[in-house]
Amino acid sequence: MFEIHRDENGDIILAGRFDAAQAEKARAVLDEVNTSCTVNFQDLKYISSAGLGELLLVQKRLMDCGQTLRLVNMNSHIRDIFKYAGFHTIFKID
Amino acid sequence: MRKKFKKKMAALDEIFEFVGAFIEAEGIDETTAFAVNFAIEEIFTNMVKYSQHNNQDVLLDLSRDDKRIVISATEYDVDEFDITKVAEVDTNLETPERKIGGLGLHLTRQVMDEVSYRYQNRNSTVTLIKYLEN
Repeated sequence: MFEIHRDENGDIILAGRFDAAQAEKARAVLDEVNTSCTVNFQDLKYISSAGLGELLLVQKRLMDCGQTLRLVNMNSHIRDIFKYAGFHTIFKID
Repeated sequence: MRKKFKKKMAALDEIFEFVGAFIEAEGIDETTAFAVNFAIEEIFTNMVKYSQHNNQDVLLDLSRDDKRIVISATEYDVDEFDITKVAEVDTNLETPERKIGGLGLHLTRQVMDEVSYRYQNRNSTVTLIKYLEN
């Protein structure tokens, strides 16, 4: 089960399991992101390299126009994956 | 525990259910469970991406003893593709130089303790080992 939506503040809310089978669902929301915003991982339990790839795609596009994603509330397992991938230097992670 | 799965992304839900049952039955801790789920997804999706000419099921075999968890994934009648020989990803590149994709095997090596490959009679087996703490 994976959910992605934007809340009333424009934050991206992720929940559940962001695996390779969910990449298309995520892309439908992430493709609409054109300015800096926060991605809230509070309810995200799991992410694989497919999920990382989708987020990197957005970050590269945003950085080309001086914008960025801010990632918040990651659990320790997901934080480790971002670190192993070297993504802690690509994204602002709080 | 052993089970065969269709070689397509849509099989992931069924795979996570299978792995979840193994984790629960074996009383595996949360950190190890995350690593096991992660590595199995990466290896399986790699097989889906690079063996599309072949629709034979993938066999997953999960076992544990006092010291370790052993995972093997076997696909049948495929060309050799030794994942242990895939070049490491440079995770220190600046953002514009980072490629989309290619991280799965690198991350699998990070979360698992051993990754090995065997190719015999056109059957390809990846074996992953995770040592248990305590």
